Amino acid sequence: MSPALARMALVLGVLLVWEAFSRFTSVSPILIAPPSEVLWQIVRIVSTHGSVPDFYSNLWVTLAELLAAYAVTASLGVLVGFLFAGSKLIGDAFEPVLLVLYAIPKIILYPLIVLVLGIGMFPKIVFGVMVGIFVVIFNTAAGLRQVEPTYISLARSLGYGKWKIFFSVVIPAAAPTILAGLRLGFGYTILGIITAELLVVNAGLGFLIDWASFNYYTPQLYALIIITLCIGVIGNGLFSVLERRWVR
Amino acid sequence: MPTKHLPLAIRTAFIVLLVLLWDSSVRFGWIDSLFLASPVHTAEKFAATTRTALPHLYATLTAFTVAFVSGVLLATVLGFAISLSGYTYKVFMPLLVLGVTIPKVTLLPLFVLWFGIEKTTIIVYGMLSAFFPMIVNVLAASLEVKPNQVVLARAMGCGKVRTFTKVIFPAMLPVLSSGCFYACNAALMGVFIVELALSRFGMGALVHDLAMTFRTAELYAAVLLTAAITVAINMALWYAARHFSRWRA
Repeated sequence: MSPALARMALVLGVLLVWEAFSRFTSVSPILIAPPSEVLWQIVRIVSTHGSVPDFYSNLWVTLAELLAAYAVTASLGVLVGFLFAGSKLIGDAFEPVLLVLYAIPKIILYPLIVLVLGIGMFPKIVFGVMVGIFVVIFNTAAGLRQVEPTYISLARSLGYGKWKIFFSVVIPAAAPTILAGLRLGFGYTILGIITAELLVVNAGLGFLIDWASFNYYTPQLYALIIITLCIGVIGNGLFSVLERRWVR
Repeated sequence: MPTKHLPLAIRTAFIVLLVLLWDSSVRFGWIDSLFLASPVHTAEKFAATTRTALPHLYATLTAFTVAFVSGVLLATVLGFAISLSGYTYKVFMPLLVLGVTIPKVTLLPLFVLWFGIEKTTIIVYGMLSAFFPMIVNVLAASLEVKPNQVVLARAMGCGKVRTFTKVIFPAMLPVLSSGCFYACNAALMGVFIVELALSRFGMGALVHDLAMTFRTAELYAAVLLTAAITVAINMALWYAARHFSRWRA
């Protein structure tokens, strides 16, 4: 059996055991919802026939926060990474500061952000950037630094100009590491946004998840959690496609 | 000034500038002191806050240690078992990578549902946070072992145990220790998330209470204290990870 097939069989097996466990044992339906019912709830929520209020407007809040935060994470992160790799002085001066900031679990700063910036979308976007940006910066700088110097001297001896070397030698050589950073940064940004929404509840998928868990609507809770996780999985899949296309 | 010290000078100047900016934004009322405590006030409250924080700190560090150690141990045992055959590696690796990439915090309401608003939830969630980055690194580390070297060790008369301790384990050690670093980071994050969400135990609860009651200077002091301790833990692991990978350079 091929590994992919075995993996699918494994997942299916877990779902079957889960279904049987929730249907044929005396475990409370508040704790565990059977997968078939969760799937049914997902269909109802997505087709707006379920009991979940304003699904699409809340989904949009989360997506808007995610897109705004990721736009900043990606552009600012790559820019700072370029600065660090481009100037040894800037890199040596500021990289230790960033390493220390990276080592702080950002979550502990979230109460401060809420205190200063309030409870709207803005503090959540700021928090998403704070969680996501470091890995983008470090990977961009590392990717640019590991470009073989011989490639550059070869290009120069072939008469390439500065910009041409940059765009047709440096960028392609650094692309795999930069893209890996952008992919990881995306995962961290989602983590930041969802964490922020779950800790200060007012809108978004975090609000819906909190609503379902507060009211003990367990099947809806499972369905909403799976929908939220899907955003991460889909985003990650998009990056895999990009990586396969751009990296050889 | 010798150029060797120039980065340090720039860094120091930058930090001093930030503290000055922080101070003047309170002093000149750019930000209300209800929301931002001045550096001087924060420093004044630091000793007293540290004293109040000690029992909370103890609770957090205990939960973190239990979560981190059990997550790493479980990941190491399962990871070694999975990496014994190339087939199980191929079956499990994509699932485990998925476990790292999905935002597990979404599952937090379920954990509260299953384990209650108790310390168990903190430990289970922290353990899960540490587990995935660690097991992916254990599996990645197994690829670092060169089959030729294992064959060579066997040929030179090493038994199974000696081959493991002298060849296999040293080859895996660099990736294993960087796995520990990521697992530690994730476990700290996990423990604080649950502590903030439950606001019943540990530093997370203390920080939450201070923020809710607008004891701003104490809040900043408590956050600084937590940040300093977590940075110390992370840096120790980072240097350990570097130390163990030095032999191959």
